[in-house]
Amino acid sequence: MERKSTPLVDEHLQNILGMQEAATDDFFYTRLKARMEKEKPQQGWSFPLKPVWVVSTLVLLLAVNGIMLAQQFKAKKSTTTASSSSLQNFAESYDQSILLSY
Amino acid sequence: MGEKELIQELRQGNEPAFRWLVETYRNRVFHTVLNILQDSKEAEDAAQETFIQVFESVGSFKEESSLSTWIYRIATRKALDKIRRRRTRQKLHKILPWWMPEEKKSADETFHHPGIVAENKEKATVLFKAIESLPEKQKLAFTLIKVQGMNYEETCEVMQQNIKAVESLISRAKVNLQKQLEDYYKTLK
Repeated sequence: MERKSTPLVDEHLQNILGMQEAATDDFFYTRLKARMEKEKPQQGWSFPLKPVWVVSTLVLLLAVNGIMLAQQFKAKKSTTTASSSSLQNFAESYDQSILLSY
Repeated sequence: MGEKELIQELRQGNEPAFRWLVETYRNRVFHTVLNILQDSKEAEDAAQETFIQVFESVGSFKEESSLSTWIYRIATRKALDKIRRRRTRQKLHKILPWWMPEEKKSADETFHHPGIVAENKEKATVLFKAIESLPEKQKLAFTLIKVQGMNYEETCEVMQQNIKAVESLISRAKVNLQKQLEDYYKTLK
């Protein structure tokens, strides 16, 4: 499959022929074990600090806030309508009329 | 210790068996990830992560390939993950240069492979720089076969690709590298 002539690549590859294997030092296992101990899952619950969890929590909080605000706004609107109609009924029962201006 | 026996011991969480595995494979794994990552610190990190994953997931190892092929597969995946994260960081650094100032420093550093003799260092460095910019799969196939000297059969198993696909990747990698090296030497003239 290697059909096309690539002389520069072949020439450069000659320079890495016989390359020695890169080695880690003798304390690799000690460092690995220390890391494994450190990364051991902790007992009990702790807040997940991964960015994905933090962002999801923030989005959820914002969504809940948005829903609460929307509901509050809706409730306020219906209370205003209800209070104005009850005032009108009260006035009518005494043959009075009320002028509402907002 | 036979491979089957070793896998059995590892599954039981036997520490001496794990230590034996790490001591046997650490240099091979480090060499592989270093060739891919071209950064000693990241290579050490990837090598450690490889052994941690081996320890944690040996229970689900289906023994469809040899233990060494499985370890190499994990190691190459860890290295490629690191490259992807590095590229994301470099992109972020371009957008927000004041954020992660270390990123520029690491991108500017030239990689000198510790296993290459002094008189070959210059050309090897140029080649490694060119390999660095190859697409992911071409880079992996070329590094494993041409740099590391792994045979096609094992490379196919590590990359989970068929022989034709790997040959094609090598062929395209060589063409791309030839072009890059020509451009590099043109700019020097």
